[in-house]
Amino acid sequence: MAVKIAEEWLATCGGCEVTILDIGDKILDLLPQLEFVHMPVLMDHKYFGQTGERETLEIPEAAVGIISGGIRSEENRKICEEMRKKCNTIVALGSCANFGGIPALANLSTLDELYQKVYRTSKSTEPHDTPHEGIPPLLDRVYSLSEVIKVDIGLPGCPTTPEIVADALTALLEGKPFSLPERSVCDDCPTKREKKAVAQVKRPLEQVQFTPGQKLEEVRCYMEQGYLCQGPATRSGCGGAEKTPRCIKAYMTCRGCFGPIRPGANPMVDMMGALSTIGLNPKDIEDRAATFNRFIGVTGRLRPKGGKP
Amino acid sequence: MENGFEPVIIAFCCNWCSYAGADLAGTSRLQYPPNVRIIRAMCSGMIHPNLVMDALTKGADGVLICGCHPGDCHYLEGNLKAESRAQAIELMLEDFGLEPERFRLEWISAAEGQKFARVMTEMVEAVKKVGPSPYRSA
Repeated sequence: MAVKIAEEWLATCGGCEVTILDIGDKILDLLPQLEFVHMPVLMDHKYFGQTGERETLEIPEAAVGIISGGIRSEENRKICEEMRKKCNTIVALGSCANFGGIPALANLSTLDELYQKVYRTSKSTEPHDTPHEGIPPLLDRVYSLSEVIKVDIGLPGCPTTPEIVADALTALLEGKPFSLPERSVCDDCPTKREKKAVAQVKRPLEQVQFTPGQKLEEVRCYMEQGYLCQGPATRSGCGGAEKTPRCIKAYMTCRGCFGPIRPGANPMVDMMGALSTIGLNPKDIEDRAATFNRFIGVTGRLRPKGGKP
Repeated sequence: MENGFEPVIIAFCCNWCSYAGADLAGTSRLQYPPNVRIIRAMCSGMIHPNLVMDALTKGADGVLICGCHPGDCHYLEGNLKAESRAQAIELMLEDFGLEPERFRLEWISAAEGQKFARVMTEMVEAVKKVGPSPYRSA
């Protein structure tokens, strides 16, 4: 019998849904065992009945509920609470669902500042009142799913990777537990490390030093070259079976989308420690809070300037 | 805040200089406030910023790192590592909404029992002035 799946997207871009398609051939083995009963990105299924006849928000019952995106508005909150009620297992898909993701960078500003910028002071905008009729109000900040409901499986990544989505779905279908290893990106990174920086902090738009075709094992660690690489404070797993992390393989620094290695770790502190240990000047980093919490701005990691804990 | 607030201060002292300095302060019977909890580490260079931020966000009102004077490090340059980490810690205090008085890096040699007692007294006074850590009640 096919397993019923409900899928929802909240405050997110939709990239993680594309990742489900990216599973490739393996999805053909999975599909006959799955039945999608609710998936706004793919099919027409309304919350208040197809013609809007119902009074209450309703999502069909399902064994597995996949939610991507963080919680930004009152609507997001209600939908994810309804998902929790109707689904046995909740899978948080992608960094937004797990740690707020890019939308959570807005946690650096208060709601008033956001409205002021977006509807009035931004250069490309004709000043206008903040719209409030017929739209769900925003919450005071962006929340991750686990701050509001219980999450059973978290699949981080921006976007998450086809391998771990396939592995998690397969594990669920077989009734086996699924978890990601507590390893850092550096643990899986093949570049050459000598624990001493050879340059000052550089801007991300400068190019990492390598010759095309050069083996990664012969390339100097990007951080030691002066590029801010989130590797030391980021969970590994994005490389799949091959292990080499995705961005590293493309000669780019890690941006930290897989989030902290352990729940409760503070990547900004880890990163500032790592930088100063190899001899880079921590004062050279512009906007360290946003840089080192790029994908993980929930649970008080990012808050408005001068805000007390 | 002056109504009997007794701050909790953690002092990470290196085994070779500062801890011996604290010992000397004790054996010389120097007086300093009892708010300081000393944690002995082999070198100030092994005090990762994580430990300091964890202490400050989980109940301590102030943290001190004490190491050997530059050039005196038992491990040659552990204290220099501590110094560059201290810069990072000072920057992060602001991000965490903490006052700069809550963290201090000091070089205290094994012969400076006087200095140890003085630094501890100063630190306790400074932290008493800024009041309890905002993370204490939360």
